[in-house]
Amino acid sequence: MNWKNVLRLISVDVKASRMVRGVRFRRFRENKIVTYALYMGACVLGLLVGWFVGNFFVGIADLTLKQLVLNGATNLFITLPTIVLLYGLVFTQMSQFQRIGVKVSIEPIYWFPITWQEHTLASIIANMLGAPLIITTFVCSSILVASFFLGLVPLAVFTVFMLLTSLFLASITTEAFKVLQVRISGAVTKVAGRAAVWVRLIGSILFFVIFYIIYFSLYYSVSPLALIESVAGGQRMLWFIPYLWPGMTLSAFATGFWLETALFLSASAVFICLLFLAAVSLNVKFGLYEAPSIKVSHGVYVPRAGLLGRLGFSPPEAAVIRKDLRAFTRRHELMYIFTFPIIFIIIPLLSTMRGGTAIPSTFSSFLFIYLTLLPGTLMAVILGSIIVGSEGESVWFIYSAPISAKSLVKAKYFFIVLFSLLVILVCDFSLFVYCQLFNGAPSIRAVVIGFAEAVFLSFSLAMVSLACGIKGADFRELPPRPRMIRPVWSLINMTACVIAGLAIIAPLVPYGVQRIFQSFFITSFLPDYYPYVALPISVGIAVIITHAASKIALNSAEELLRKAEQ
Amino acid sequence: MSHLPAVKLSGVSKRYGDVTAVDYLDLEVRRGEVFGLLGPNGSGKTTTLKMILGLVKPDSGSVNVLGINVEDDPVAVKRKIGYVPEAPRIYEFLTALEFLDFTGDVYGMAPEEKKKRIEEFVRALDLEGREGDIISSYSEGMKQKVVIISALMHKPELLLLDEPLSGLDPKSARIVKDLLRELASQGVTTIMSTHILEIAQAMCDRIAIMYGGRLLALGTMEELRRKAKMPESGLEDIFLKLTGTSDVKPIVEALMK
Repeated sequence: MNWKNVLRLISVDVKASRMVRGVRFRRFRENKIVTYALYMGACVLGLLVGWFVGNFFVGIADLTLKQLVLNGATNLFITLPTIVLLYGLVFTQMSQFQRIGVKVSIEPIYWFPITWQEHTLASIIANMLGAPLIITTFVCSSILVASFFLGLVPLAVFTVFMLLTSLFLASITTEAFKVLQVRISGAVTKVAGRAAVWVRLIGSILFFVIFYIIYFSLYYSVSPLALIESVAGGQRMLWFIPYLWPGMTLSAFATGFWLETALFLSASAVFICLLFLAAVSLNVKFGLYEAPSIKVSHGVYVPRAGLLGRLGFSPPEAAVIRKDLRAFTRRHELMYIFTFPIIFIIIPLLSTMRGGTAIPSTFSSFLFIYLTLLPGTLMAVILGSIIVGSEGESVWFIYSAPISAKSLVKAKYFFIVLFSLLVILVCDFSLFVYCQLFNGAPSIRAVVIGFAEAVFLSFSLAMVSLACGIKGADFRELPPRPRMIRPVWSLINMTACVIAGLAIIAPLVPYGVQRIFQSFFITSFLPDYYPYVALPISVGIAVIITHAASKIALNSAEELLRKAEQ
Repeated sequence: MSHLPAVKLSGVSKRYGDVTAVDYLDLEVRRGEVFGLLGPNGSGKTTTLKMILGLVKPDSGSVNVLGINVEDDPVAVKRKIGYVPEAPRIYEFLTALEFLDFTGDVYGMAPEEKKKRIEEFVRALDLEGREGDIISSYSEGMKQKVVIISALMHKPELLLLDEPLSGLDPKSARIVKDLLRELASQGVTTIMSTHILEIAQAMCDRIAIMYGGRLLALGTMEELRRKAKMPESGLEDIFLKLTGTSDVKPIVEALMK
């Protein structure tokens, strides 16, 4: 093993991850102080927290309470390796998600004189850097300082060692999983044949949805104390799982079972070595694996007249819409768009169904408005901002093809509106089913007003965000994924959409407030005809905003095509 | 109309910051000729092609393509042009068939004609059997073939080709060369930028050599030989002499030390 190679590869990997996060740099050498500032910050914060906790302990006069705190601290130390392992797995996996497609950065290893062992080790260490190591640095420094006051210095030093071991273990697992993931998805593509596109789309959506559901469920329902308790209990019960051995080592060490300590420590070391060897051999076997190509058709070409033509779209416009539809169902970095509305529907519904208690009518009304208005609107805002930038470096084709600015805006706008309307319909249907099952249906009037308002919001915000998306389009495809919109324009888009959205719904806000808080009012403070007056005003505002935004979008598109590659 | 040049650049300049990419260029390309644009890296060839297509707006001067000022009606100009950029990126999530179908629609081809042309080209350039695969799985040469088909399939009046033969296998390169000759005989104008001087010498009716954004020489092979005072030489020697880069021996010797 050439350690110089490993260190060089780590620094390349770190640069690659920084590029993934959008950090731009011009020189290879960077300011070391800036690079390590977060680690130093975490260390200082940890020292302060440790000092504070230690002083708190010293200040306790009651001996029973003191013993209780001491026991609690020992338990915490014992559970920390498993907790670090858990969040290490989450963070390193998330960093891998971010890097889907960053193959470019590791390609040189194919021809450089670097061994797979060196590459694997560098990748594992690089994966640990960033958030996982920053959090671990904070934890380590705080327990070290606190242990001086608690009289647990040997245990704390050993804990620090085991925490780093656990983090390393998490990172090796992620490395091995990463290689397997590529191989398995390749095998699925091969087996699925023509259906591979849909298998991949549905698989990716399901994966993200499940990941987010687990994340939100943990986030909303597990308190830190409950987590420590459940980890401590689970660790003792499931001692035979190798991933828990670092925690078991500490547990044995804390209780003074030296033989057990030595056994679990050796077993942990052997397990790490075996896992590392497994990761290396997986890399050797599948590191150069190229996923098989997806065959969509078998060469029989039949031009289709298409529904879009009958809807009044010119052939170039229809072609752009069809192409975008394929892009959003086949490109990994665009598929995640579809997960947002699903998550927006599932999460609040999950939180309302938990516990089986009755839902307050205030919350139920709020949920109704939220689910009617937000997901569709959000879809319009996100799609609008990225749909032009998603052309990426292939945009030269749009520049060189005889597509007018008007056709481009029309095709893109139709696509955004189509998907937003679909989301609105799905949300309203889900809401209808939910209300029928759990909560009694809202009035027809409320449903119609909500639906109409959602449609007008989507129409309007789709154009606003499309205008921003054209103006701020970023066609660079730096690894690992296209930029699509410049950050400053993303911010402008969000601000403009919030302002436009508020302006559109403003006339109906009193009606919404009355519906949400109807249980607090004895009598209705708005006349019955109020929504029939407010809705046309809201529609009028939406039309004005859409018209103004369409002018801006058209001018921006003309400028985009005129300046093209300037 | 046919007496008018296919492309006319009058006093065209383009600067990128401090760098002058094209410096007051006057150029006329006749209808139905295969015109070669040569020059070392950074000499302004690609910028010139992009200005003809309307992808880059000149700082000064005017560009007239097939009787239309590019600035006046860029869409009409683009409809008549087939373009192959240098190292093109195409929609890799589409299959070749889907991309060519998309191209046909964008250029307003009738469905039957589109089908016929796609099938002919796919067969001719040996893409049969892979045309239904997602483009991301193609080799660079196969991608280049798809781009060439997309440039030719709508029967353009003017072809702008930036290194069109790079990455092609010998058979496909031969087919493309023969096709360009055949198209020229039918009145299709081709402007081709290339570094492969043998191809330029064999295929082009006239050749322009650019250097530092300026037109250094223009003419047939015979005219270039006369201008360089090298009556028996090939294009490579003429090119190296005119661009002042002929003496490469000291560089090679230095590298070998």
